[in-house]
Amino acid sequence: MGAGDAFFASNLRRNDAMTIPMRYGLKVLSASLISGASLLAQPALADYTVEAVSNGGAIEGVVKLSGTAPKAAPLEVTKNQDFCGQSIPNPVYSVGKDGGLQNVEVFLRGITRGKALSTNTISLVNEHCMFNPRVQGANAGQQVKISSNDPFLHNTHTQNASTNATIYNIALPFKGFSVTKPLPALPQLIKVKCDAHAWMRAWIWELDNPYFATTGDDGHFTIKDIPPGTYTLVAWHEAAGEKPTSVTVSAGKTVTVDIQLVAVKQP
Amino acid sequence: MGYELPLDMIATPRRIATLAAAMVTLLIMADRDWAQDEMGDVHRGKIVYEQYCALCHGEQGDGNGHYGEDTIPAPRDFRQGTFNWRSTPSGSLPTDADLEKTLIKGLFGTSMSSFSASLTHRQRLDVITYIKTFSPRFATEKPEAPITIPPEPPYTVESVTRGAAIYKKVNCAQCHGDEAQGDGESADDLTDDWGNPIVPYDLTEGHLKCGNNGSDIYRVFITGLNGTPMPSFADSISPAEAWDLVHFIQSLSPEYPKNVTGAPSTSIGEGKP
Repeated sequence: MGAGDAFFASNLRRNDAMTIPMRYGLKVLSASLISGASLLAQPALADYTVEAVSNGGAIEGVVKLSGTAPKAAPLEVTKNQDFCGQSIPNPVYSVGKDGGLQNVEVFLRGITRGKALSTNTISLVNEHCMFNPRVQGANAGQQVKISSNDPFLHNTHTQNASTNATIYNIALPFKGFSVTKPLPALPQLIKVKCDAHAWMRAWIWELDNPYFATTGDDGHFTIKDIPPGTYTLVAWHEAAGEKPTSVTVSAGKTVTVDIQLVAVKQP
Repeated sequence: MGYELPLDMIATPRRIATLAAAMVTLLIMADRDWAQDEMGDVHRGKIVYEQYCALCHGEQGDGNGHYGEDTIPAPRDFRQGTFNWRSTPSGSLPTDADLEKTLIKGLFGTSMSSFSASLTHRQRLDVITYIKTFSPRFATEKPEAPITIPPEPPYTVESVTRGAAIYKKVNCAQCHGDEAQGDGESADDLTDDWGNPIVPYDLTEGHLKCGNNGSDIYRVFITGLNGTPMPSFADSISPAEAWDLVHFIQSLSPEYPKNVTGAPSTSIGEGKP
């Protein structure tokens, strides 16, 4: 049994902890509102069967913010200013051309069969005192390569977004350091922070199916090779929350779904 | 006398074998009972908890006890299964022995005191069993295998000097400071997993949170301290480097005369990395 297997075993039922006890603090409550209450309704174990998808359909579209994005103060850089500068533009509401909203994770919820799960190693880079990418999707069983291009210590501290339980907290002590770690065995929204640079934040949506995409800087997304059927398409944004939409996919066709999220003012 | 043993009392080989099997079963059961006993009793543990622990950690195990309101670091919220002192890798649950170690030694520099004298081994097992009920993780996960700590090499000037270089190489100073006094660039606004303020240790005082023995310090480098900003260096320092770093940290302590190590704490104060 390798180190990765040991990690998987230990995380096997971690999602079972994803209920919020009545006496939980407000901090956790607000985190759960941001991450979306339906997170709690996720099945504890993925029930997904891989099968060949021939002549599948696709969903594409654009996620936009309704109204104008709330004005957000730049992130105040308080550490390693000689390298990171005094401030960093606030990345929470990144609105591109035609109002497209970046860093929205769009995924199918409840799909039980379809194409193979993703197996590539995803990447999380610490660079200029920010994580890149800020938001990405993944499947259980995937690995994440965590690396640093900054000449000082970062730490990559992953937590279950609902319970705040630490998944792991890894030191990235110097420029050029990298380490590859498995994601938890069970799907969950993972919050990533760097304690040494508290403004740094990333999110990894670990999902039980391979039908996910993250919107680019124009708010656009495409999800392909979907077996025909009617599904719940979820769009999640770290501040605007999540919005489910019912979508019917036909064989060999692309259905266009444009989604509007309502901006929530940052505290 | 014409008395004959009833048929069912004659010791046939088959009956002897059956009897032997029954005795082995009884022995196993006795052993099981003993193991159950080592696990602690949740009801007795609740009584111990409410008497000794709830004032700070709260009756619900949420860290919101009345006496803990103003302590830094805040009393641990037990509901996430996140514990400082572990023999297990970053993020893992602790073993029962790990939790008892915390009860016996306390956590220096925090409000968590030692219960080595005030609680018996039996009471500690009981209260550990009760504390584990606050997090559902203990019912569904197992702690990962404890880390391996290789034998300690000799404490020498060379080892301390190499350790000082490791301290710089892996940027301990980011939080603990160039002089290791807990005043690094990131020191002033650190928080724990629950958003409560927490400070990096001043490593020159001679007392460390999880103990001052070489293996205690080594373990913290590799496991990190779950729930705090202290990360695991398991992937970034080798065992030999970790022991050198242990010796360097020990050399900063007033317990270690500087003329033995030849490495006064100021030897690392050469500006930022």
